[in-house]
Amino acid sequence: MIETHTEFRRRARAWLEANVPQEPAPRDGPAAREFVLRWQRRQAEGGWAGVSWPKEAGGQGRSVSEQIIWFEECARARAPSPLGPGFVGLNHAGPTINACGSAAQKALHLPRILEGDVLWCQGFSEPGSGSDLASIRTRGRVDGDTLVIDGQKLWSSYADIADWQEMLVRTDPEARNGAALSWVIVPMDAPGVTVRPIRTMAASSTFCEVFYDSVRVPLSSIVGGLNNGWATAMSTLSFERGTATLALLIETVARVGDLLADCPASRPAMRTTLATLRAEGQAILASTYRFALDSEHATPDASGSMIRLAFAEFAQRVTAAAIDLYGIDAPEVLGAHGWGHEYLHAFSETIAGGTAEIQRNIIAERVLGLPKEPR
Amino acid sequence: MKFALTDDQASVLNEVERMLDGLALPAHTEPVVAPYSDTLDAALAGSGFLDIAREDGFGTLDAALMVERLARSPHIVEAGASAIVAPAIGLEAGLRPVALVAGDPTGPARFLPRAQVLVADLGDHALAIEVDPARVQPVDSLFAYGYGRLDSLDGLPVRRIDDVATLRRRWRVAVAAEIAGCMAGALSLLVEHVKARHAFGRPLGAFQSIQHRLAMAAESAESSRWLALRAAWSDDDGDAAQAAGFAQSRIHALSYDLHQFSGAMGLTLEYPLHLWTYRLRALVGELGGAGAQARAAAAAAWPDAAE
Repeated sequence: MIETHTEFRRRARAWLEANVPQEPAPRDGPAAREFVLRWQRRQAEGGWAGVSWPKEAGGQGRSVSEQIIWFEECARARAPSPLGPGFVGLNHAGPTINACGSAAQKALHLPRILEGDVLWCQGFSEPGSGSDLASIRTRGRVDGDTLVIDGQKLWSSYADIADWQEMLVRTDPEARNGAALSWVIVPMDAPGVTVRPIRTMAASSTFCEVFYDSVRVPLSSIVGGLNNGWATAMSTLSFERGTATLALLIETVARVGDLLADCPASRPAMRTTLATLRAEGQAILASTYRFALDSEHATPDASGSMIRLAFAEFAQRVTAAAIDLYGIDAPEVLGAHGWGHEYLHAFSETIAGGTAEIQRNIIAERVLGLPKEPR
Repeated sequence: MKFALTDDQASVLNEVERMLDGLALPAHTEPVVAPYSDTLDAALAGSGFLDIAREDGFGTLDAALMVERLARSPHIVEAGASAIVAPAIGLEAGLRPVALVAGDPTGPARFLPRAQVLVADLGDHALAIEVDPARVQPVDSLFAYGYGRLDSLDGLPVRRIDDVATLRRRWRVAVAAEIAGCMAGALSLLVEHVKARHAFGRPLGAFQSIQHRLAMAAESAESSRWLALRAAWSDDDGDAAQAAGFAQSRIHALSYDLHQFSGAMGLTLEYPLHLWTYRLRALVGELGGAGAQARAAAAAAWPDAAE
């Protein structure tokens, strides 16, 4: 018998009510790793991991609509935030391997991501190479059937607690564009990998710097082909910018509702601000549902950048409004899970995963079809 | 109207510059509470500049110029309340640092863990409370200043201040001057950064999208500064409320833009931008925030309508 969306939602809600962890998620370090893997394992055991991932990858093989319902119910149940140590594996590395990986790569990695065995981190940015990814200098030299990696990556979130890293390296020293890069899977315990956590102003150590000193990985670790890394990375960037934002967006809109509920009628200006934010969140959500459903059977288009941009700036406004609502010394603002940390962390929203300026360029050039600015 | 600094003002600011030049950037490896600059505090106290508004031939404008200049630096020190507020409400010279709090006198106040006196604005009057450090509990803060609260007023020497309008006016001038200085200090760090950092083969500062927003940040810093100085000069209730509220209203956009163009580096403790970001975020909500200042400015201009 085919389950209707209503039945699916009811079943998801009941399971989440019984299984969502009650304790807050640790912010960083080994405790954060254990927490997120435990939560992922519980979802896998309950048959909820990777709702829209294919069955052969260990997922549930369900529709994007059902994935959306799952995210909505997670937000309603205040399940652990999707923007944690599990984000890269579930929303970037996993989908990229699914789209471009070999059968062996898929069989090795995808089930382990969903089953909560491993964490992934991303090694794209470098000192001096953030928005301009094509200028990457970390080198991968082919030596027989291995790739030898030397260089440095920056802003690799949770690299200190990850098992695997998705990396962009320069495998053609001559080419000056994206054709010089390869997308590689690197085990974080490989000899020659050194990780240094960086303290952020939001009081966490989630950002890391990673150094590679003659790190050797088999050539079979390259995903999507040698010197095809740019196309491989781009294959899921639209996904990341659009659909992967969905879970975060649903959660954030739900939290704006909580803020409104806490805002007394004696503060009409604050209520106006929050109600306007709620409308803004619903508007972005409506666009995101459209994008996610359109992406179900077709390659996502560049309009994912509109969603990424709108969500990033929305999240910043929400955190600022929350502090204005409660005051900078309120319990809701202070503490490890307070809005104050969220406010400081939200500065990264318009930087990570393609800056707001890059998103605006993409919208202008690829959605509106405007001529490119000289670069 | 003259906008050039007098010789006396220029020499005071030169002397402040000299104090700042000798200071190393604060080592800041633990997030959240940035280190208080005891060295700068001692140099300022020794210089007598914190009492400049009490001197013949000087006034609030000179104090505001100094507070604004100090806030441009990455060093955190209590100066606004000492130099701008204290002389107007009868606090004796040298009794400092001064902490200020509105409403509940046992609520959290900036600088209280180091303060000798706490001034509490209770609405229709104020209290100057001599602080016993043993009675101060540190308060968790995310925004750089060491905050603290008194356990109670029991047994502490307290003096009543009736002229609460003057307290509030000077407090607003101090907030406006401090915000203006923080804006200018953070902006100057970023201007150097976007000249030096390259992307797509040219300096970040050569991209128009970045130029335009830094130009707007410059306009915010510049207009906040002149409005603060005007309020310090006129010592008028409405001007002071407007200056504080205007500056507060510009903080969010400016902070986001400056962080945006410093990239991920700007989010770390290894880059000093947070030393201004923290302070600016704390000042956004001081005295009720921009909305409260706007209402106070309107009430000062149209007192009948306010009733």
